[in-house]
Amino acid sequence: MSHDGHHAVVIPAPGPEFLPHTVAHHFDTPVQEFQSMKLGFWLFLATEILLFGGLFAAYFYYHEWYPETFKIGGQQLDWKLGAINTIVLLVSSWTMAMGVRAAQTSQKQKTLVFCGLTVLGAVIFLVIKFFEYKAKTEHGLFDFTQMFGAYDLATGQVPWFTDIHNVMVDHTGAPLPHGHLFFAIYVTMSGIHGLHVLIGAGLILWIMKGTAKGRFHAGYYLPVDLVGLYWHLVDLIWIFLFPLLYLVP
Amino acid sequence: MSTNVPAVDLHAAPTGERPKNYLNCTTSFMSWAGTLDHKRIGLMYLVGVSIAFLCGGVFALLVRIHLWEPHGMLFSNSGYNQLFTLHGAFMVFLFVIPAIPASLGNMVLPLMLGAKDVALPRLNLLSFYLWVGGAAFATYSIAAGGFDTGWTFYTPYSLYTNKAVVSIGLGIFLLGFSSIFTGLNFIVTTHKLRAPGMTWFRMPLFIWALYATAILQVLATPVLGITVLLVAFERLYHIGIFDPRLGGDPVLFEHFFWFYSHPAVYIMVLPAFGIISEMVSVHSRKPLFGYKLIAFSSLAIAVISFLVWGHHMFTSGQSTYAMFAFSFLTFFVAIPTAIKQFSWVATVWKGSIALNSPMLYTLAFLIIFAIGGLTGIILGALNVDIHLHDTYFVVAHFHYVMMGSIALAFFAGLHHWWPKMFGIMYNETLAKIAAVTIFIGFNATFVPQFIMGSQGMPRRYATYVPEYAPYHQASTIGAIILGSGVALMVFYLLASLFTGKKAMVNQWGGVTLDWHTPTPPPLENFETPPVVTHEVYDYSTLDVETTRTPLR
Amino acid sequence: MSAHAHNDSGHAAGGLQMGHHHVSSAQMFTNVLVALLILTVVTVGVSRLDFGAANMLIAMFIACVKASLVMAFFMHLAWDTAINKIVFLSSFLFLSLLFIFTLADSATRRVDHHANVIKTPVDKQWVHPAALEKH
Repeated sequence: MSHDGHHAVVIPAPGPEFLPHTVAHHFDTPVQEFQSMKLGFWLFLATEILLFGGLFAAYFYYHEWYPETFKIGGQQLDWKLGAINTIVLLVSSWTMAMGVRAAQTSQKQKTLVFCGLTVLGAVIFLVIKFFEYKAKTEHGLFDFTQMFGAYDLATGQVPWFTDIHNVMVDHTGAPLPHGHLFFAIYVTMSGIHGLHVLIGAGLILWIMKGTAKGRFHAGYYLPVDLVGLYWHLVDLIWIFLFPLLYLVP
Repeated sequence: MSTNVPAVDLHAAPTGERPKNYLNCTTSFMSWAGTLDHKRIGLMYLVGVSIAFLCGGVFALLVRIHLWEPHGMLFSNSGYNQLFTLHGAFMVFLFVIPAIPASLGNMVLPLMLGAKDVALPRLNLLSFYLWVGGAAFATYSIAAGGFDTGWTFYTPYSLYTNKAVVSIGLGIFLLGFSSIFTGLNFIVTTHKLRAPGMTWFRMPLFIWALYATAILQVLATPVLGITVLLVAFERLYHIGIFDPRLGGDPVLFEHFFWFYSHPAVYIMVLPAFGIISEMVSVHSRKPLFGYKLIAFSSLAIAVISFLVWGHHMFTSGQSTYAMFAFSFLTFFVAIPTAIKQFSWVATVWKGSIALNSPMLYTLAFLIIFAIGGLTGIILGALNVDIHLHDTYFVVAHFHYVMMGSIALAFFAGLHHWWPKMFGIMYNETLAKIAAVTIFIGFNATFVPQFIMGSQGMPRRYATYVPEYAPYHQASTIGAIILGSGVALMVFYLLASLFTGKKAMVNQWGGVTLDWHTPTPPPLENFETPPVVTHEVYDYSTLDVETTRTPLR
Repeated sequence: MSAHAHNDSGHAAGGLQMGHHHVSSAQMFTNVLVALLILTVVTVGVSRLDFGAANMLIAMFIACVKASLVMAFFMHLAWDTAINKIVFLSSFLFLSLLFIFTLADSATRRVDHHANVIKTPVDKQWVHPAALEKH
């Protein structure tokens, strides 16, 4: 960038283990930078709500069309694992909030510890998810090796939904209409959510790296704050996913 | 306006050393490819969307030539399907949606606000590369077999057709995020980076328009994102969400698609309204009539646009009660739109009108948009639309708004800010000729389409019964005239970059902050940060000397 | 980029550099977590009982309460600027438009998907041809 005759605004480090922060040159003050980035991030979170919201709309829509399918389908999911995952995410939201607070108060070690615990929570969540999907496959519901296979026009049978033990039947034993539909929506919603958990974990690791270097402190904790917001969004979505998929049926 | 911007030094020795501006301050490839400057990003976007526009125009000409004869002159039926899909997809996603905000908006918004740049310059660059990625996917999709679903990708056909639907879908996903991030950036910039003294009601109306557009970009586009993602998943994994054979509902696809695509048409047109607001004021040298009305009507249009999407689906099989609701709500959008139209006309009334090329496009807009908007209301009437849906009446309506209004507003803005962007003026005589040619060609193309549409000629048909042939042929002749006008415009604009005369410092006598920077602006936009002390369209502050003075 | 360290004169180093920022107390965070966990237990418990169509509403209501706690306290919205609140809450508002119109369309379409029957507004019974063959 060319010399513009303006001096850069620098927020000094509060201590020797921290680094100063230079405000981006197109901002006039640190407050302007902070508020702009925050507003921008909230706008981004709004787009995530609408992105996921479409999936929820599809869920409600087909729940009205095929109530039996959704009821029996939901009962195939292990609500205990879902509840554990809910608790894991809520606690990880707490550790994240505590981590942001530690950064706000220039407590480097505490920030690292809390962020690390949050990542641990993310890992536990994903591991439990993995076991859930694995269990479904073992129970003969899914066959993910057939994901890209063609579907059978005559029977409407999709290749990855095998239902070997014929669980998707109503009280008379007749097959429920489109049994795979609940699970398709379930896998899509929890899969995209899981992807966000993974991304969130990656972002928190990046924050931990910056924290170790001393980049974040009371004068400049914005990235920690923003990653924290992202993580809380991930938790927020799960707060709605859990009852809809696991409990209502 | 600003009272402390230094005047151009008219008496500096003409040493042949050109002053440093954003174009020549650095010249390496990476200084452009990795630039964080909004003006350079705006220029790169301009190049990109212009290429997309010209490609889309070529597809359009091929369509019109094919339709010269009732049995179709050039292509097979399936080839024709791919051709109109390409025309629509390129025009809508690669040109009309991004063009004004990303090219002119990027260039002008920070200048008008008195800011050094947008709030999030790196995000701005990312937006640009997402656009490029989307364009790359679109181009790849042509090579990989094309797509023949229409730009609307309705299921179930888009699920079954053995074409490159997934890759164009992913391209649209990238383009969607490009649009979202641009909107996000503009909202933050408008809130946080206004110059001291610039209250909300001292902002130029182009900013209000871009702000309302940005709200739509941020709130509506994610739903398009999830829709194309679900179509891709449906094609790849057969989830059954839109596929009726698997229990899905194609009408749900339409709901999702139009939840975005109706606000999308306002993403397209609101920036155009913003440009027209600026044009009618500057080129009649008169403050806007009804400034606050125009500002609030932009917001009103943005909100109402979320309530009416079902009017694209009147023959789809949705419930009758939903159709009543959508049709009723559709009429409301006419109110803020009409407020704008009347305010613009009232602005021009008894103003000191300069009939230069931007103003010619603006006046053309006022006429063409009246027709485009009103025919939209006709289509909003449920009982009438049952007959007109999927006919050429609809095609003519949306071309009146998209081509005749939005593209013409884009041309107006392009000509208006050309001297600011490059410090060069184009050949005004050729510009006037092109503008008139475009106006005549445009109407000649689409008036026959209104007529044959009302007589039942369906859209997206590769062949037709011979009784419509005179209309099709008239339309094709019109398209050729229109194309010539556009070609002429491209010619003299490009030529001006090499042989154009130096522009004046303030070519048109504008008083918004963008005309208070040097021409072309330096990298940092303003030598000293401006302070706003006057109302926005206060022409009494116009420094006529600067206006008449050419650049060194 | 030429720069020399430039303190906002008159401000002490540290948090005041960026204006007054509310730092939540650890106790408050813990209280919110406890509330969330309790509500989770409630959600699970209530789901064991069957209220019929109200199941969905009750579950969603409790989820909304939990979400509000996360938004207000963990995400700090309660102490944030008005525009940030408006931005985030309006996303839910516009999303609800998608829900309302789409579900209203589906609910008023008067199609019985199992029996393949479409009831027209004048209640003439129309039976899908495929269903006819089964009889």
